[in-house]
Amino acid sequence: MTLTIILVSMAAALLAGWLARGRSRPLVLLAFSALAVYAFQPALPVRHLDFWLPTVTLALVAASWALTAAPEQRSWRANWPAAAILAGIVLLLGLTRFLPFDAFLTASRPPQTFQIVLAILLAAALTGAALWLSRRSAKWLAAAIGLILALFLVLKVPELSYWTSFFFHKLNQQYSGAASAADLRWLGFSYIAFRLIHTIRDRQSGRLPAVTLAEYAAYVIFFPSLTAGPIDRIERFLGDLRRPFALSAEDLTEAGKRLLVGLFKKFVIADALALVALNGTNALQVRTAGWTWILLYAYAFQIFFDFSGYTDIAIGLGRLLGFKLPENFNAPYRKPNLTQFWNNWHMTLTQWFRAYFFNPVTRLLRSTKKPLPIPVVIFVTQIITMALIGLWHGVTANFVLWGLWHGLGLFVHNRWSERTKARFAVLPPRWQTVLNAGGALLTFHFVALGWVFFAMPDLSTSWHVFLKLFGFA
Amino acid sequence: MSDEIMTALAQYVAAEILRQPSRLIGADEPLLTSGLIDSFHLVDLGMFVEDKFGVRIDDAELNASTFDTLSQLAALIRARQ
Repeated sequence: MTLTIILVSMAAALLAGWLARGRSRPLVLLAFSALAVYAFQPALPVRHLDFWLPTVTLALVAASWALTAAPEQRSWRANWPAAAILAGIVLLLGLTRFLPFDAFLTASRPPQTFQIVLAILLAAALTGAALWLSRRSAKWLAAAIGLILALFLVLKVPELSYWTSFFFHKLNQQYSGAASAADLRWLGFSYIAFRLIHTIRDRQSGRLPAVTLAEYAAYVIFFPSLTAGPIDRIERFLGDLRRPFALSAEDLTEAGKRLLVGLFKKFVIADALALVALNGTNALQVRTAGWTWILLYAYAFQIFFDFSGYTDIAIGLGRLLGFKLPENFNAPYRKPNLTQFWNNWHMTLTQWFRAYFFNPVTRLLRSTKKPLPIPVVIFVTQIITMALIGLWHGVTANFVLWGLWHGLGLFVHNRWSERTKARFAVLPPRWQTVLNAGGALLTFHFVALGWVFFAMPDLSTSWHVFLKLFGFA
Repeated sequence: MSDEIMTALAQYVAAEILRQPSRLIGADEPLLTSGLIDSFHLVDLGMFVEDKFGVRIDDAELNASTFDTLSQLAALIRARQ
């Protein structure tokens, strides 16, 4: 996100916070967030795709609500204002194509009006069908998760992204030779997908609270956390949404602090570090091991300040609207081991994977008639969980290796900890401090070396960087 | 009853998770945020609670925002019994 978009978001949050009072609070937040889905979407080379992707986001949200909504929340009377706001925003944004100046809330001039009306009717039909299907069978919830994962694969597997873009170019009668895997940048979809799957899985387990369409949509596309998280949980979000809110001096001070800290982290520290941080170009240019380590350290801190800066901004914007969004980072580089690093790095993502993958799989493997040996269970669950977290960043060999690097590290730490924790626990406090400091240094370097896979475009460049770091190139 | 729950939980955590059977765990000592219990042992603790007290803690609830101390876990168990 650019500084301009963040500043506009701050103004929008103040306005929305002022307007969003009483019973209209979910509707106002929904309207601002729906507009943000379009405003944040970057321009794409496929004609009108930067309008259609946000539209599909809204359609998915409405259909997902229809599939998961409790029977008492499905009435037309309770939900027509939210449906009207969603449809009205799509239509109004579509009509901006007739304005005499360039589009300002959409990345490019919207498509023709009859296509937009058709899309709204299709989305309404999809939502109606989801409402009808949800009464018939719970299997459709699993099908919805399958659809979300399929969309995820299309966006994250470079070959699938390329062929999808190729198809869209042909459909639009654009030059298909210009198609590229980078054409399908669907802003915020990764985080939206996590929230949708969370609500669908909780509906399957009977834990999803009853929510209206306005509340559900405001949660999934909440604009402060739309592009970079944190991934809130709906029951926590509802607590803030349903609480009466009037911006207090304390809210304003706290929000101001987080916003200033976030802007400083992102636009001063991270952007300065980006000048020297490891990348595919400078990795090949540096000649000495010392400089390669400097580039790697710069990258390790750049990625932390960039991401945690965005989180601070999201939390600050949320506070202006009366929401205490969950934290994502808690001094991860100062933790004494890899397990604690992952308890404090991108915390809402790891909590999501624990809740919906690691915990159920571990429970399953521990509950079988002939339970597997504990080290095998830990190895399997850690490796697969971290490989999936790697794949979430992109379906490439480098991201998988990054995940495996951490999965293996977590497994080794677990085994080491099992053998030594009773002995270390009785050491004098001074020795504990020394061990923790040594552990933090070791953990930081393990994580930093893992960033090589993350920062490099392919395996051969990653290998080249490893050789340089240890003086073999 | 609450003392029984606390005692059983404290004994399980000390002996089976921390491997220090004689260790005393405070009722309000952070277990998850301090890193004392890792994610794998947290699942084991959830299964122990299910077996011992007949109380189900959902996979999505196994985190520090649901409980972080023995007293919070004991309160959760009592509330669901």
